[in-house]
Amino acid sequence: MAQVVLKEIVKQYGSLYAVNNVSLTVEDGEFVALVGPSGCGKTTTLNLVAGLLPMTGGDVLIGDRNVTDLDPKDRDIAMVFQNYALYPNKTVYKNLAFPLQMRKLSKAEIDTKVMDAAKVLDIVHLLQRKPRELSGGQQQRVALGRALVRDPQVFLMDEPLSNLDAKLRVQMRTELKRFHQDLKATVIYVTHDQLEAVTMADKMAVMSGGFLQQYDSPKNVFEHPVNMFVASFVGSPAMSLIPLEAINTGGKIALSSSEGWQLPLSEANSKKAQTASTSKIVLGARHSTLQLHKSKESNSVPGRVYTVEPTGDVTFVQVFLGGATVIVSLDPSVDVKSDQEVWIEFDQERLHLFDGETEMALTDP
Amino acid sequence: MSMVSTAPSRRRRVKIDPWRWVGRIFLLFLLTFTVLPMLWMVLTSIKSQFAAMQYPPQWWPAEPTLQNYAKLLDPNGSTGQEFLRYFWNSFYVSMVTTILGVIVAVPAAYAFSRFTFPGRTFLFFSVLLRNMFPSVVFLMPLFLLMRWMGLVNTHGSLILTYLTFGLPLSIWLLKGFFDNIPIQLEQAARIDGATRFQAFFFIVMPLSTPGIIATSIFSFIGAWNEYVYAYTFLSKQDSMTLPVGIQRFFTEFATDWPGLMAATFLMSVPVVVLFLVLQKYFVRALTEGAVKH
Ligand SMILES: Nc1ncnc2c1ncn2[C@@H]1O[C@H](COP(=O)(O)OP(=O)(O)OP(=O)(O)O)[C@@H](O)[C@H]1O
Ligand SMILES: [Mg+2]
Repeated sequence: MAQVVLKEIVKQYGSLYAVNNVSLTVEDGEFVALVGPSGCGKTTTLNLVAGLLPMTGGDVLIGDRNVTDLDPKDRDIAMVFQNYALYPNKTVYKNLAFPLQMRKLSKAEIDTKVMDAAKVLDIVHLLQRKPRELSGGQQQRVALGRALVRDPQVFLMDEPLSNLDAKLRVQMRTELKRFHQDLKATVIYVTHDQLEAVTMADKMAVMSGGFLQQYDSPKNVFEHPVNMFVASFVGSPAMSLIPLEAINTGGKIALSSSEGWQLPLSEANSKKAQTASTSKIVLGARHSTLQLHKSKESNSVPGRVYTVEPTGDVTFVQVFLGGATVIVSLDPSVDVKSDQEVWIEFDQERLHLFDGETEMALTDP
Repeated sequence: MSMVSTAPSRRRRVKIDPWRWVGRIFLLFLLTFTVLPMLWMVLTSIKSQFAAMQYPPQWWPAEPTLQNYAKLLDPNGSTGQEFLRYFWNSFYVSMVTTILGVIVAVPAAYAFSRFTFPGRTFLFFSVLLRNMFPSVVFLMPLFLLMRWMGLVNTHGSLILTYLTFGLPLSIWLLKGFFDNIPIQLEQAARIDGATRFQAFFFIVMPLSTPGIIATSIFSFIGAWNEYVYAYTFLSKQDSMTLPVGIQRFFTEFATDWPGLMAATFLMSVPVVVLFLVLQKYFVRALTEGAVKH
């Protein structure tokens, strides 16, 4: 196992920067999830680490070797592809044996290793089948097995669970996590599904438009998003963002809405707000930090219920407020109706402020 | 009356679709059109010279004989020697054309399918450009070219010509095949420790076997049946190919129809055998286009 370092890697397709100046370090044994919307360059980044694409610029280091100019076969990595990429004309056994054959292991060694991997993944009974005779979950195991047999330095996985149904996905997620813990493997894991990222990863790299937006533990990314993109991308339902205007009310800052109400900020938040480059400030709040009142209370601002979505455990209520929609989670026993007038209270400790121009999070000066 | 409205009609109405029948009749017609001459060819080939010329014709040979075949395949008789010579020439030319064709077409198609390089589109379409003209158009220019290169009366001239005519289609067909093989398979192989070439050889090649076989059959048949170029380029009798040879051979004497038919039948044997043996791949090539992943 080894550390992986990406140094300012760039991949350009014509005039499009698919990956733009991405630098990050994956520590030995760490599980890093690469998340971001479709087309943001996740697969491209992974392929650059694997050496499947020529890089426009930058360096990739695996362990203490600079592998930038090495072929994929010499990088000592394994990869699980989104569509599994099992060799369709080979049996499962031969699929697993192929990487070992390429490394010129003896027949006996190959047999032992294949059987070991097959036992771990519980696919011994499938060894003589062809990939098309397997279910999605079984194919997924075989793909994982082909990566496992070789004991590589780094595992790269490109949305390995996205083709599975919801139930199997949850099960495989647990197994993958277990497998990472047992092997202490270095893993870079691409996913659409942030729940996967949050549950499995030690660190999360959020990408958008080819740029790395934030690279931190899932907890930190969730609690301290660096900009509005990360704030709205991470977490489900997404963080509510309300564009407001900052006004100075005798030393303290209040946020004023186009609807006329004002929200005075706490001292700490006022300091943050003063660092903004403009008077436009975007207020961010997660659904769980908001309180909904049915009558006016101090420190709360008025809104109107738009929709009520009961999910069983919690009820999500969308509220029109300050020209934006805010999502609040409620206990299902609370009874609210569409078009009802409500008052929303913000938790000053847990709200987020963003600069309306730069979209960056405002932090303590 | 109420019964009528509730109970479903027992009699199943067979819907007669007129188009279906038109289609069937058309197919029957096509079948007759292609099979009858073959049948007549085989029937004539087992008649005696005398029986073949009878009028009204003998529909069924009264005294079937295999003597015509024996004569053609007898390596000691002069007829047999000549026929086998032509047969071998044709086989040699077609085989070399096919093998060289595959050797050139496979890498070319792979490159067109997988790599981006300057002039790729232009090159690809210029490969197809040749197919827009009937091949006879090139007869004189190619003849002059061959003469200039001193290739007239060699099999090389034919092999080169057939390659020129066969390659565009082969490359085009194979590219379609390679396009349909997911690139991730090669990427997986390269990560698994294969070089680019090994990934191609161990993973892509086996998956495109049907395509390679189909294109091979195409180029083999093309070369095997070609007449005009063979007739123009080769004038020495012992280098002639079958289509030309057969014709020459039998018009020298008063036309020996049963002999001619026997020779023609023998000529069709390799193609039919090829088809029967490789039919599985051929059908797969045409229906699937490539591997379903
Ligand atoms: N071969 C290529 N030629 C040109 N542009 C490409 C090529 N491959 C990818 N791109 C572009 O690069 C960008 C990043 O693609 P990439 O496949 O890395 O996205 P992704 O984050 O993996 O998306 P998804 O979540 O949909 O898989 C996209 O805008 C894509 O259109
Ligand atoms: Mg992708």
